[in-house]
Amino acid sequence: MIAIRLEARFLRAAFVAVFACLSLSGCISAKMYVDPGLPAVAKADLPVAPHPEPVQVLFEFRTKGNANAKATARIAPRVISAATASGLFTQVSNTPQDGAGILKIVIDNVPLTDNAAAKGFGTGLTFGLAGSIVTDGYICTASYSRGGHTTETTLKHSIYTTIGNHEGPKGLTAMEPESAVNLAMDQMAWNALKQLADKHAFD
Amino acid sequence: MLGGCVSQPAMTYQASIDNTEVLLAHPTGKLSVGHVDAAAGVANAHLSVRGSELTGGSDGTFAGYLHDALTTELKAAGRFDASSATRIDATLTHNELDGGAVKNAKAVLAARFVVSKDGKTAYDKVLTASHQWESSFIGAVAIPAAFQNYPAAMQKLVAKLFNDPEFIRAAGMGPATTAAR
Repeated sequence: MIAIRLEARFLRAAFVAVFACLSLSGCISAKMYVDPGLPAVAKADLPVAPHPEPVQVLFEFRTKGNANAKATARIAPRVISAATASGLFTQVSNTPQDGAGILKIVIDNVPLTDNAAAKGFGTGLTFGLAGSIVTDGYICTASYSRGGHTTETTLKHSIYTTIGNHEGPKGLTAMEPESAVNLAMDQMAWNALKQLADKHAFD
Repeated sequence: MLGGCVSQPAMTYQASIDNTEVLLAHPTGKLSVGHVDAAAGVANAHLSVRGSELTGGSDGTFAGYLHDALTTELKAAGRFDASSATRIDATLTHNELDGGAVKNAKAVLAARFVVSKDGKTAYDKVLTASHQWESSFIGAVAIPAAFQNYPAAMQKLVAKLFNDPEFIRAAGMGPATTAAR
């Protein structure tokens, strides 16, 4: 009977300890690595649009196909900045303008690692010793429409996240989460513009 | 601890691309948004998910969130005019956020939408939208997922309105065209 009580007390103490450790969360670090698959694209890599027009940018970030308002609000200004800096348009806005084309960009975050949450939870339970790595996939669908003509393109990207004691992918540089996400989103926006330009969408 | 028992306001409503495209496809007609409230007994101030609470939008109510949704969508498509004689009023008749399930969570929203032109009712219909997403046994995953998906459910409710041909006719938005798409 005493043994059972001690065991219960021990289990309770252990649970509280794990609970407390997880609540601190700062003790287990997460690092992100951006997949090198997409080339770096800048304004100099884009053709000069022969007749630039104003454009309305429609952007939506989705998580597993469902609209993600928080991420949309956070990423939309970056997409608009990329469109503005590209020099492909005379004016860039997220509201309708007379004679404007419509640039539509949807980025869908599709987790490529099964049970990512459970893996992270397991890492937390072992105080980060049993590290884990998860991969987030991003499918970017972009289109440009004007005068009844639409040009479309699709591209894919990935971010790898290590939690706790786990090595990152070889040859990739570890980044802070915010920097990694910003870099990946910017790369997708610029590459989408490049691919649309290569398809003569803005001619 | 573990991010449980929190109370947070619904994310600022963002226009849905699908809704914007539907509205852009109809070249004419501008609307104002009038009074939006909640029916008696409908959760209008907060929704509970595993002990945590989601609160309403800019005015602290979900009726206000529906008002924001209608205004935001119409503005994104250039179809909003605060002085338009064609007006949308609405009453939130159902507001359910069920994030308690281990596997599949859901939100069910319904509202009565009334469109009036110069004070005359041109459209009066109750519309319902259901939205599902993958949940988790881990509260720290399930609760944010539920809060994140509420705006998507609201987008679907508004989409029901904008995709209703009777609404398009009542709002005087003209026949669809692909020119703007």
